Amino acid sequence: MRALAGICAPVMLVGAAAACPAAAQDAGNAQGDLSVTIYNGGQSLVQDVRRLAIPAGRSRQEFPDVSAQIRPQTVSFAADGTAIVEQNFDYDLLSPNALMEKAVGETITLLRINPATGAQTSERAKVLAVNGGVVLQIGSRIEVLRDDGLPVRVVFDKIPPNLRAKPTLSITVDSDRGGTRPATLSYLTGGLGWAADYVSLYDEKAGTIDVQGWVTLTNNTGTTFDNARTLLVAGTPSGSGAPIGTTPRYRPRPQTNIRSAGTESAPREQLGDYYLYPLPERTTIANAQTKQVSFLDVSGVPARKVYEFTLDGFQTMTEPASAASVIKFTSSADGGLGDALPAGTVRFYQRDLRGDPQFIGENRIGHTPMGSELGLATGEAFDVKVQATIVSRERRSSTVWRTSMSYRLTNARAEPVTLDLTQRGLDWYWDETRIITESMKSKRLDSDGTQWSVTVPANGEATVTATFETRY
Amino acid sequence: MRRLLPLLLLAAASPAAAQPVVTSAAPDSVSVSIFRDPGRGEGGSIDLDWLQGFALISETRTIDLPAGESRLRFEGVAEGMVAVSAIVTGLPGGVVQKNRDAALLSPASLLDGSLGNRVHLRRTDGATGKVTEEDAIIRSGPGGAVVLQTPAGFEALRCTGLPESLVYDGVPAGLTAKPTLSVTTRSPAAGRATVTLTYLATGFDWASNYVARVAPDGRTLDLFAWLTVANSNGESFADASLSAIAGTLNIESDFDDLVEAPPQPRLHLSCFPTGSGRYGRPPPPPPPAPPPLPAPALEMADSIVVTGARRAMASPAAVVAVQEALGDLKLYRVPIPVTVAANGQKQVALLVKDAVPFRRIYRLRDCLSCEDGAREAEIVLRMENRKAAALGVPLPSGEVAVFESAMGEQLLAGEGRLRDHAVGETVNLVIGDSSQVRVSIENYVGSNGSAADYRVTVTNANPFAVDFEMGFEVYDTAGLDKRIRKLPRRDGQPTWAATVPANGSRSFDYRVKEAD
Repeated sequence: MRALAGICAPVMLVGAAAACPAAAQDAGNAQGDLSVTIYNGGQSLVQDVRRLAIPAGRSRQEFPDVSAQIRPQTVSFAADGTAIVEQNFDYDLLSPNALMEKAVGETITLLRINPATGAQTSERAKVLAVNGGVVLQIGSRIEVLRDDGLPVRVVFDKIPPNLRAKPTLSITVDSDRGGTRPATLSYLTGGLGWAADYVSLYDEKAGTIDVQGWVTLTNNTGTTFDNARTLLVAGTPSGSGAPIGTTPRYRPRPQTNIRSAGTESAPREQLGDYYLYPLPERTTIANAQTKQVSFLDVSGVPARKVYEFTLDGFQTMTEPASAASVIKFTSSADGGLGDALPAGTVRFYQRDLRGDPQFIGENRIGHTPMGSELGLATGEAFDVKVQATIVSRERRSSTVWRTSMSYRLTNARAEPVTLDLTQRGLDWYWDETRIITESMKSKRLDSDGTQWSVTVPANGEATVTATFETRY
Repeated sequence: MRRLLPLLLLAAASPAAAQPVVTSAAPDSVSVSIFRDPGRGEGGSIDLDWLQGFALISETRTIDLPAGESRLRFEGVAEGMVAVSAIVTGLPGGVVQKNRDAALLSPASLLDGSLGNRVHLRRTDGATGKVTEEDAIIRSGPGGAVVLQTPAGFEALRCTGLPESLVYDGVPAGLTAKPTLSVTTRSPAAGRATVTLTYLATGFDWASNYVARVAPDGRTLDLFAWLTVANSNGESFADASLSAIAGTLNIESDFDDLVEAPPQPRLHLSCFPTGSGRYGRPPPPPPPAPPPLPAPALEMADSIVVTGARRAMASPAAVVAVQEALGDLKLYRVPIPVTVAANGQKQVALLVKDAVPFRRIYRLRDCLSCEDGAREAEIVLRMENRKAAALGVPLPSGEVAVFESAMGEQLLAGEGRLRDHAVGETVNLVIGDSSQVRVSIENYVGSNGSAADYRVTVTNANPFAVDFEMGFEVYDTAGLDKRIRKLPRRDGQPTWAATVPANGSRSFDYRVKEAD
């Protein structure tokens, strides 16, 4: 404290009132009552209600501890009885070089240290110019700073007021009265984002999944948000994605695993078309932190596994290929997860023979309305494979071709499986493809594809044959 | 509102300050399940310089928790932990939130976090050796070097030509040595809990490496496979329950990206210009890249395989991994606890199958009208993956080295790659091309203008008869020669199979309609 008093004295002379309290500011920062609203696209709305002592008349208010990635052009300010004169965002940063350049024409102190004896001598010098070297006037002499390479301490009397340690937002207001009152500062910032992470334990025997949903928010703004009320918005309210200059770390790819879009509304607050996920309590979002808070925990939701294989065209496969393992469930209130699901990653686990959960694959979902049917591929089945063969391909007339396909489906598992086999490419550069014969009835999905749902016996195989007629 | 505010501020400060922190230094027991690099194709080996597989690590930890809210910090986890995948179970009060803090302690963050605070400036007199210390307040951020406020006025750090250093009283709050996972929990009562922490981690990989030793009679082979696991994390997992998972998983996340700490601030010390024509000190060069992982392990790995195979009679495997089905994947469990060492590779027997009958096939696949001269046929070892044929186990994809006897020694006779084979499949393992068995496809002038006659001739320079298969790639079957049409199909292709006598040849004639 003794030493601090000595340090504080010159500060007071400079009149930078903020400087000395800053030293005693270890405990907290200048942030007030914070509300942070985070969107998926990597930008966020920060609302900061601070208690400001605003004198009557015109005054300049500084706002330290705002996000280091603030978009200053989006700042708005509101306090009772004030009118805004101007907003400034100053980023003239303090450095030794800037300090010296601003000292041109000023007088500084040189403390010379004799390298042999350690003796100090002090003299005042006027900075004449800083151009690839500092030219000083000491009395009647002109010298270049440290041209002899000997140690010299350069002591500046003050820091110019516009040189700052960090970019600083300031607002000049006109107040009709003096006094302390709440002032609301709100702004957009990059560097904050969120997505969902789902932990899904699949029970193959029971045909159920237990799902825990976590919101994962990341703060790469360079700033810690203390004790903030936090609201997450499942959506990016922007037609063209994130604004320039933001780094959307957690932005999920627009991709859909929705098999059938739902029509139910989740019991959650909405902002227009976007669901809102408020965190249950205030939280501190530290810089460089990834925070996860649970928002969904359901167990025993019916789920079933199907195998899927798609051929994009007529082809002969010399080696069999694995079918995809797909876990299907719904987000419906009736027999499903019962919530709208924010976009994120779903990781599936299944218990091994010892009963320990093992990871079996992951997939992504987009923002999924409640009531949707989801089909998420977890990987390729080791034991369920398909091998397709073109049995014959003959021209019937100048524009008509007939192709006979044979599909061999094998199952090395100890229980029968159902495989959805899809032949695509039926509407490629030919059209009006018809199925002349098939060994079992297929479901025509659209003009391009048809699907057989085949039961393959345990440790056995099944064969599907079909003849297609295509026209050029 | 005015009276509430101090309370609010107090509440704001309290969670960080008052919340007790419980640190769990190490797990009691750990199990590690390793997944192969999802981007690696069929077969393929581990790249020890950059392990791109991952692992599921499950740790059991005993923790003494105080009543009420506390923060539980996990230490001794894998460096490559994917924190967003962490699952914590067994906490009586559940998980309020999980945090991964990655604001790292560094010279720059130390300076940045001390902005506006009191530090000490230490100077050592070059002549007398006298050390002096004075108080200073940091006035600038780490971007453009350090401006200090001293009792004398405002000065720049290390622009004086004197040995100077900053001494800090403490580490600013929230800075950690490594990215750290912690969970907040609210325990109903103080007590001891057994907590399971499960997470995915990068820096692992595994592969299966097969060694096939052909019996002297050339009719059977002994198939042996190594389960090779590697760990490039700085942590060792002692007495771990180790398993490896075969099969193909769908992976969407970029695990490496999730593991990395976000960019950290950097300290650049620069000064005002001193002397004539010099612009201060240049910023320091970026820190050197971390040294590459030690390579010797790779050589070690190779030597293990080679020595294991070169001996005519290899020692039997005492421990063989146990296979079980895990959904649509295959799990191989090492039946005894093993240590997965930091920056190390380990091999355990994956499967042992002796006296597997096989056929040696010489094979060529080509289109009907592809003229070719003296092409080398592929050497294929064909096995049936069935119990009756001494196999009948899932065969995870991997590299295969085939050894045969010659001059009283087992020598490398071929290498191939195996895809995942389920039970019941036929294994066609291509182990090389033969220069002794060659195939010519020649075109003759057709008997009429719209067709061409072809002849396939296979020659065998070996002193023994060989089985040969010619697979024809057929696209249109309209007007296909009856001789082709009558051929049996193998893997979808009409296939001419013939036994070529020792030092002899065989041929097959067919006709192809001119393409329209």
